[in-house]
Amino acid sequence: MRLQLVLIGVLAVCFGNADEDHGPAWLLASKTLHNQFVVEGKELVVEYIIFNVGESAATNVVLTEESFHPEDFELVRGMTKTKWDRIAPGANVSHTIILRPRVYGFFNMTAADVSYLSSEDASEPVHSYTSAPGEGGIMRYRDFDRKFSPHILDWAAFGMMTVPSLCIPFMLWFRSKSKYETIAQQSRKTN
Amino acid sequence: MVGKKLTKQEELLLQDFSRNVTTKSSALFYGNALIVSAIPLWLFWRIHQMDPYQSALVWAAMTIVSTYLVAFAYRNTKFILKHKVAQRREEAVNREVMKSLGDDKKMSRKEKDERALWKKNEVADYEATTFAIFYNNAFYLVLAIILSFYILKTTTPTINYILTVGVTSGILALFSTGSQ
Repeated sequence: MRLQLVLIGVLAVCFGNADEDHGPAWLLASKTLHNQFVVEGKELVVEYIIFNVGESAATNVVLTEESFHPEDFELVRGMTKTKWDRIAPGANVSHTIILRPRVYGFFNMTAADVSYLSSEDASEPVHSYTSAPGEGGIMRYRDFDRKFSPHILDWAAFGMMTVPSLCIPFMLWFRSKSKYETIAQQSRKTN
Repeated sequence: MVGKKLTKQEELLLQDFSRNVTTKSSALFYGNALIVSAIPLWLFWRIHQMDPYQSALVWAAMTIVSTYLVAFAYRNTKFILKHKVAQRREEAVNREVMKSLGDDKKMSRKEKDERALWKKNEVADYEATTFAIFYNNAFYLVLAIILSFYILKTTTPTINYILTVGVTSGILALFSTGSQ
C-alpha cells in the first residue's frame, strides 16, 4: 500500500512537470522582392517575414541586411538592421525596406542574417539566414522606359510636328480644288 | 529644225510630258522631303531611346537616303497627277481666264487661248505638287509608324530605324513609279 502511494506520487510529479518543459524557439525567415521588375533608379521593395515555429519565445531577435551595398543601392526608407525584443511561439513579424538601385546589370540577392536567443535562459545566440531571392537582373532605365512608358507627351509632340507637313499641303490643295470646282459648278448651272 | 524657236504651246507641251521640275519645285520637294524624313527621328530618340550622339552618323546617312527617295516619289506622283488635274480643271480655268480677259479687245483669240493654256498648266502644276506632297507625307508617316512599332517592334533600335526609314522611303519611291 505504501509502495503504491509512493509510485502514484512519483507519477503525479512527472506528469505535473511535463507541461513546463518547452522546446526552444525556432525562427524561419523569408526575404522577398515585391517588384515584378527591378529597374535602375526606381524603387525596390524588400519584405522580410520572420515566423517562430518553435515552442518558446525567441528573444533579442536581430535582422541584419548587408547585401545591398550603399554604392549600388540607395536606402530610401527602412533600416537594414532591426531588432525585436520578443517573438512569441506561433507568431510572426515583418519588416520592409525600400531601396533604389543606382546601377543596372546582374545582381545576386543573398540572404539576410537573423540572430536570436532560443530560450529565456539561453546565453549564446542562434544564427540563421533568411531565404535568398537569388540572381536577378536590374533593368536599365532606358530599356524599361522604352518597353513600358506610355510616352503620351512624346506622341503629342510628334503629332504637332506632323501638322505642318500634312495640313499645309492639304489646305493649299483643297483651297485651289474648292475654288475651281465652284467655278465649274457655276458654269454648269448657267449652261 | 535646229535653232527653231518653240511656240508657247509647244513649250508647255514639252513641259507637260517631261518629268523634269523647275529649280523652285525641286527646292520645295527636297525641303519637304528632308522635313518629313527627319520627323521620325523624334520617335526614335524619345520612344526607342536611341542616343543622338552615338546614332548621329546612322541618322544622317538614312535621312539623306530617305530625302532623295521621297523627293523622287514627289516628282513622279506630281507628274502622274498633273495630267488628271489638268483635264478636270480645264473648263473652270478657261471660264476664269475668259471672264478676266473677256473685255480686253486688244488681245487676240489666240493670245487668250495661250493664256488659258498657261493658266491651266499653272493650276495643274500647283494642285499636283501640293497633293503629291500631302499624299506622300501621309503615306510615309503612317508606314513608318506601322513598321517601327508593330512589325519591327522586337528588333534593336538601330536596326529598327534603318529598316523603317529604308523600307518606307523605298516603298514610296516604288509605288510612285506606277503608271496610275
